[in-house]
Amino acid sequence: MSPPSRTLGRVNVVEAVDLHRTYRVTTGTIRRRSHDVEAVRGVSFSIREGELFGLLGPNGAGKTTTIKMLITLLIPTSGSAHVLGYDVVRDAARVREQVGYVFGGDKGLYERLSALDNLRYFAELYGVEPRRQRARIDELLGLVGLRGREHERVEGYSRGMRQRLHLARGLIHDPPVLFLDEPTIGVDPVGARELRALIASLTKAGKTVLLTTHYMFEADSLCDRIAVITDGAIVAQGTPQQLKAGVEQGGVVEVEVFGIDEAQVRRIEALPGVLAVTVEEQELKQLLIVQTAPGTELMHVILAQLDGASVGRISQREPTLEDAYVQLVTA
Amino acid sequence: MTAVRVALVGGLLSFRGLFSWLHPAIFVPTMVVPPLFQVLFFAYLGRAAELESDSFYVVGNSIQLAALPGLFAVSQAINGERKSQTLAPLLASPASRVALFLGRSLPVMAIGLGVSFASFGFGSAVLGVEVDAGVLPPLLATMTVTAFSCTALGIAHAAVGLRVREMAVFSNLVFAVLLVFCGVNVPLDDLPGWMGTVAQGLPVTHTVEAGRELLAGASLADVGGLLVTELAIGAAYLVLGLALLRYYERVARRRATLDLV
Amino acid sequence: MTRVVRVVAFGFLIHFKHLTRNPFDVMVTTIWPLVYASLAYFMFRAGSPPESLLIASIGATVMGIWSVTTVGAADAIQRQRWAGVLEVLVAAPTPFWTVLLPITIASSAIGIYSLASTLLWGRFLFGIPLELAQPIWFLVSIPPTIVSIGLLGFVMASVVVRFRAGWAVGNMFEYPVWIVTGLLIPVALLPAWAEPVSWALAPTWGMRALSDAAFSGGSPLFDIGMCVLLSAVYTLVGAVLLGRFLQSARRRATLSLT
Repeated sequence: MSPPSRTLGRVNVVEAVDLHRTYRVTTGTIRRRSHDVEAVRGVSFSIREGELFGLLGPNGAGKTTTIKMLITLLIPTSGSAHVLGYDVVRDAARVREQVGYVFGGDKGLYERLSALDNLRYFAELYGVEPRRQRARIDELLGLVGLRGREHERVEGYSRGMRQRLHLARGLIHDPPVLFLDEPTIGVDPVGARELRALIASLTKAGKTVLLTTHYMFEADSLCDRIAVITDGAIVAQGTPQQLKAGVEQGGVVEVEVFGIDEAQVRRIEALPGVLAVTVEEQELKQLLIVQTAPGTELMHVILAQLDGASVGRISQREPTLEDAYVQLVTA
Repeated sequence: MTAVRVALVGGLLSFRGLFSWLHPAIFVPTMVVPPLFQVLFFAYLGRAAELESDSFYVVGNSIQLAALPGLFAVSQAINGERKSQTLAPLLASPASRVALFLGRSLPVMAIGLGVSFASFGFGSAVLGVEVDAGVLPPLLATMTVTAFSCTALGIAHAAVGLRVREMAVFSNLVFAVLLVFCGVNVPLDDLPGWMGTVAQGLPVTHTVEAGRELLAGASLADVGGLLVTELAIGAAYLVLGLALLRYYERVARRRATLDLV
Repeated sequence: MTRVVRVVAFGFLIHFKHLTRNPFDVMVTTIWPLVYASLAYFMFRAGSPPESLLIASIGATVMGIWSVTTVGAADAIQRQRWAGVLEVLVAAPTPFWTVLLPITIASSAIGIYSLASTLLWGRFLFGIPLELAQPIWFLVSIPPTIVSIGLLGFVMASVVVRFRAGWAVGNMFEYPVWIVTGLLIPVALLPAWAEPVSWALAPTWGMRALSDAAFSGGSPLFDIGMCVLLSAVYTLVGAVLLGRFLQSARRRATLSLT
């Protein structure tokens, strides 16, 4: 018997067309100067029914702003977006009924109330029928693994527990579409793994999910498709496989260095055949990651540049999604 | 000379730190409007109670209002320093602590003087209190002394307040005590004896008396004694406050706890 | 319609519970009325006292209710923002005015603690007897007073949502409203223009209802009726303003910034 496969629907549940969002930023106390910052510059994508779509990008790339436009908290400066056919500006109320919003971090709950009170309140606000509320809340508590702790005040919850409660809250009205904004940020590894399993199970249950994250492996393992966003614009879109293939099929050279300096990094970047260089700070050393163009053999040349610095392990490998991401983002 | 420099530089630097709080949207509703109306409120209440004259309330309240920035601005500043963890280093610095804190208190005192004077002017104008121009300079001197003593109280209460969980409640309480005990709205003779006694050890009491005497025709020389007493009270609170802060800083260093100071 | 009533009622209970568990709020709301009541007692006793100093207790209590409402209302939006909950509330399919309205009423309901404490304070520290002429009417007058004052707070909160720094504005309206609405100061002592202004403000009628019930044999029915009328007006004005300002906040992205 072949494993069950998820067939993705043919309907575009979420459609973003050329979204733009500009903020006005004012600085200074006496002489106030204001200028415009374009946080989102022409973002377009669509998500099919049942898909787990990832929006991957560094901090400040515009992920949160994009999500907020889709959940009707922000009005786009230009462009349009539809969720289940409803326009996010004109039919905001309808969109809100169909959408759940979960974000990371400690805030977003009433601290001095119990989890149960919090869920009851949001159940009311999100239109869960009074008769169904108790059953629904119990169901969700079981799903996120908080049963038995619902009477405790939220202020005593760990971050992982809060995140799970956030998820329960987002699901309270059983929305077909979920927007998760960095849901595992700051959560301990075990908790994060459990959360990811939960998220994966949501699409198996037929929900459509948009997930923003800056964790590469999270996007890689969970998402059906990914859009890489940086500086307010999407630089690449596709399945994780497609994105990895997009990275020019060169190799990646990794060198452990003790005490590399700026000048050396510059020289390596300038080498012909080098596509991107990143330096990862590890406790006592740095990890130099060099992406090289296909058909080049740069190991010796790179090592020659590191003359004078102490070198540890050296390795060469295939590019990963992270490398693809770095290349896209630093281009 | 260094002490003076420390005072000025320290004072000016902290002024910038005060800027966020001086934002008109916050400053006007908290430091401008309420004082003006506090004077009016009590003057009208005095009329309703048929107690004393409008001038009694205008002088009393405008002088007491120096405590508004003195308490709240100082507790905000000290709490702010504590949150950004610069309070401990500040206390441990070799610079003369008195000069440093006095310097940082200068903007607060200036605001306190401003609040007092503005509410006095507003109250007199609206209620039609006659004020002889010659009274103004000694009255300003009286208000300046009060601004100092209230700021000093501010530092002392902020030091005590570091141990209290809700600083704002404590500040409110101290402000309320000044409003009730110090003869601001009720003549000292009409208050229970013990309250009058406590009031003698608080700022505002003596300068309110001085202010009222000035408006009744006394000269600066006549009220000199009261002003000196007020200065002494202020100095005492300043020393107490600094000593407390220094003590906490030592304890924090010994126990390696950063949350105290 | 029933849905709206449910949401508002439930929202009120939840927020009242949440606010009650904040010791700071409760303390500040009980301390200041005691301070003003005490000052009033001292001043009246030293000057010329009215028939019963109980009027000072009641006046101080309504002052407290207004205080906690005006500060709480202006603060309401800001607190939701600080708790990171504002976006969740706005993103709900329920119209936001039904979400905000119970928050401001819950704020003013916290004033109930000050009613109890001020009356007891006056009784035990100043010997002011708790003799009410019409105790039933007194109790009946309390909810309309609290709700109408809370709804005036709702109007204020609806305006504040537009301005990020609006949270401090609540402070500004304490004294002026206390003076104009004749809580401790008889309106007769104020300039002539003050009286019509006072009619548009809920605390005026709440105070009259409570005073009528406490002292005179007269019926506070008219005053309660005014509270109800003003409640309806405030709700309408607040809801309209809120809708407009919320739209503006979505456009200018001022919802989540702290």
